[in-house]
Amino acid sequence: MERRNTEVLIIGGGVIGASIGYYAAKSGIEVTIIDKGDIACGTSSRCDGNILAIDKEPGFDSQMSLESQKLVKQLSKELDLEFEYRAPGSILVCESEEEMIAAQSWVDRQKKAGLSFKMLDRSDIKQESPYFADDLLGGLECETDSTINPYLFTYSLFHGAIHYGAKVKLRCEVKGMRRNSETGLFHVNTDQGSIIAKKVVNAGGVWAPYIGNMLDLNIPIKPRKGHIIVASRNMPVGMRKVMEFGYLMSKFGKERTVDEETDKYGVALVFEPTESQNFLIGSSREFVGFNTKVDLDVVNCIARRTIRFYPKIADFLLIRTYAGLRPWTPDHLPIVSPVEQIPNYYIAAGHEGDGISLAAITGKLMTELLQEKSETIIPTHPIRFSRFQNVSTIQT
Amino acid sequence: MTNSRIVHHPILGRLQERGKIHFTFDDNEYIGYEGETIAAAMLANGERVLRSHEESGNLRGFYCNIGHCMECRVTVGNQKTVRACLSLIEEGMIVNSGKKLPTPFKKGETL
Amino acid sequence: MIDVFIVGAGPAGLSAANVCAKNGLKVKVVDEFMKAGGRLLGQLHEEPDGTWWNGIEEAKKLNDEAQQLKVEVDCGVSVYNIKKQNKSWKVYTTKGKFQTKALLLATGAAETAIPIPGWTLPGVMSIGAAQVMTNVHRVKVGDRGVVVGINILSAAITRELQLAGIEVSSMYLPGKNIATGDHGNPILTMKSMLKVASLAPSKLIRIGSKLMKSESLHPLALKFYPKSGIKVWGMPVHLRKAVIEIVGEKKVEGVRVAKVDLNGEPIVSTEEFIPVDFVCIAGGLYPLVELAAITGCPFQYVSELGGHVPVHSEKMKTPLEGLYVAGNITGIESAKVAMKQGTVAGYSVVQDLSNKKEAFQVQLKQAIQTVEETRNQAVIQFHPDIRTGRKKVYMSFKDKGLMKKRDFYGT
Repeated sequence: MERRNTEVLIIGGGVIGASIGYYAAKSGIEVTIIDKGDIACGTSSRCDGNILAIDKEPGFDSQMSLESQKLVKQLSKELDLEFEYRAPGSILVCESEEEMIAAQSWVDRQKKAGLSFKMLDRSDIKQESPYFADDLLGGLECETDSTINPYLFTYSLFHGAIHYGAKVKLRCEVKGMRRNSETGLFHVNTDQGSIIAKKVVNAGGVWAPYIGNMLDLNIPIKPRKGHIIVASRNMPVGMRKVMEFGYLMSKFGKERTVDEETDKYGVALVFEPTESQNFLIGSSREFVGFNTKVDLDVVNCIARRTIRFYPKIADFLLIRTYAGLRPWTPDHLPIVSPVEQIPNYYIAAGHEGDGISLAAITGKLMTELLQEKSETIIPTHPIRFSRFQNVSTIQT
Repeated sequence: MTNSRIVHHPILGRLQERGKIHFTFDDNEYIGYEGETIAAAMLANGERVLRSHEESGNLRGFYCNIGHCMECRVTVGNQKTVRACLSLIEEGMIVNSGKKLPTPFKKGETL
Repeated sequence: MIDVFIVGAGPAGLSAANVCAKNGLKVKVVDEFMKAGGRLLGQLHEEPDGTWWNGIEEAKKLNDEAQQLKVEVDCGVSVYNIKKQNKSWKVYTTKGKFQTKALLLATGAAETAIPIPGWTLPGVMSIGAAQVMTNVHRVKVGDRGVVVGINILSAAITRELQLAGIEVSSMYLPGKNIATGDHGNPILTMKSMLKVASLAPSKLIRIGSKLMKSESLHPLALKFYPKSGIKVWGMPVHLRKAVIEIVGEKKVEGVRVAKVDLNGEPIVSTEEFIPVDFVCIAGGLYPLVELAAITGCPFQYVSELGGHVPVHSEKMKTPLEGLYVAGNITGIESAKVAMKQGTVAGYSVVQDLSNKKEAFQVQLKQAIQTVEETRNQAVIQFHPDIRTGRKKVYMSFKDKGLMKKRDFYGT
């Protein structure tokens, strides 16, 4: 038998790889995490930091987030490095009667699924922040939603993983991979030499298809670009995460009644006060390949959209802008799954804008899959890779 | 701190004569010289503090002195977030330090 | 339309501007600082032949030449966006938008911070900040201070502070913590300092050069490292003591210093309090590359060059058409090398914008050779393996396959 270097090789040092690394190492599995760049150098450092159920399709999707919220709360207690965990809840605001009606049905469905949702009226919104535009009709609230710093969260998970014996190799790019059909071991060529692993977890995010391709897998993930503005700390505008109801429409690709540019760039307000009281303001959604260059037209469009909801913050200063790639899948659910045709090969990718929300549950679930447990923390069927097996071309 | 301007330098020579500039910082009057930045003029007046941290109120001065770190941000007239290390003083300039701001909630708090 | 827009009026940017202007191009240079010269301003060191290298004079020479050549040098201007438009670049600045055929980024370097407790107190500053305050603004940073972080840059600037009559009581390592990393490691610090030829008169080097021959002797040298430090220019340099906290109520009042073991770990109950009114933190330099990132230029991490650098060729061209880089944005080296790189970039731009491409082949080749010669003659080498680092980047530029793949990766 060939000498192997690691039991489990996790490819990808973003929040997903970090979480899998942490839970797996904690459960006693020997893991190595590699990344072509640095910790959280891709999507996980170009996003905002929410653990949200409010924007998840009621049912499996929102339940999965709720479980993740519980895990993150636990992580905030068990990990050594703090990651700015807060659980102030979040709200969605509506600008039209149609949205109010849609919001009511969203709340009803979520409540039925057992989540802590409620409607907000005009006076609730006024109470929430004196900075809101006067014409907003109301909205809805999810009480359990929490917020973290994604960058610190990823580092904290890595720190925890290393504590439990995980090995980490950075600036280690996968150049090729093959599976020895006799031994079943994976031989992974990297620019830091070859690694032999018994199991491989592809946690490559938007680059997961590239890694999958090395073993002839067609993983239907596409990069969807999103911009974030960082606004400088000022007077307190609000205490918790705020989104416009139209964000849901934009996320699920539904039609909205907005101007051409807002529609073209998929701009919908997402407003997040960070622990230091700077503000992360998004969002946009565009299929423009692997380009992460900040587009000032999109930034302007987001700023305009923000002022529509918060007219009084027009003089706040922007201190930074950045753009990241969200790993989109055709059904907006991630892939957290073994791959049937390649024994011991797993995929944990395709979380689009929910990577931070779902990292904890993904890490926990993947660890159970690696241990081949019969009972898992959430059902695995909706997020199995095999659901895409008949998809030959990717529709965007 | 005494003799805070380096008038004589063994290699760089004597400091050039420059015109005086009057400015205020947090309502106190100061005198600097033409071509001096806010940070340099304040330091020459023996003042290291340029702002209070927005949350903790901890005092801060300049750190990198070439515009990268944003530690020295002050308000000039109505313009917020002006880098004291890159901005030249002007006659009659009204400079105010960055102030502590209200903080609505603390870490880990649940509403 | 401008022929070439240059960001950074330092040694690289101005040198390139002058080459371009001499060859008839319309050149605009912008810089965030209020004076032209970049980090040439403030540099002051004694050459091996006993003459003084005065950065302010060098900057003046370059800037005077630029003025004669009608180069438009605009200071106090920041660039906040860059966009490719058809075959040209659109540059967004705080003083308007500009359209240019060629764009040269010569943004230089920034200093790595070493966070230690108390480092946000007024009176704590980067070593470069102290240099600018002392030599450019001619204001004393304090009466008596310490330098935290021992490297080539901090040694050189400490000497400059002394020249201006500012007392630097000692140089120390930073106390080891999760953020200070290798900066707090005595052995690694000694190894890097032993490679600094410019400090040859010091005892440190004389002791060191004997020990350099054998790796196994390094810990021994540190073990017998004098408790009072080794004096360089009359000031003790401590490799076995670290600043573990900067203390003060409203501003710096002093530092807490402890002896450290061979790994940089503080030894209990060896603490002393040193009263000072300023502290300089010296974490070394890294290339300042944000503007290259917003152009979409591919990057490469090269530790020998000081961090992430935009991929570029020996001709200072990036893989993006019409985008050039020169100076410390391409890797940390001396100002003299930066000037010569600027000349190369200038000739590259001139050649690319010329109808007779062959006409500048000789000058370009010559300029590239001059960079090499200047590098070989440099007194100060920021990284001993600079040539290895340079080769890595040039290889990436040549590797068209890699470039294609990097597009896929989006890096």
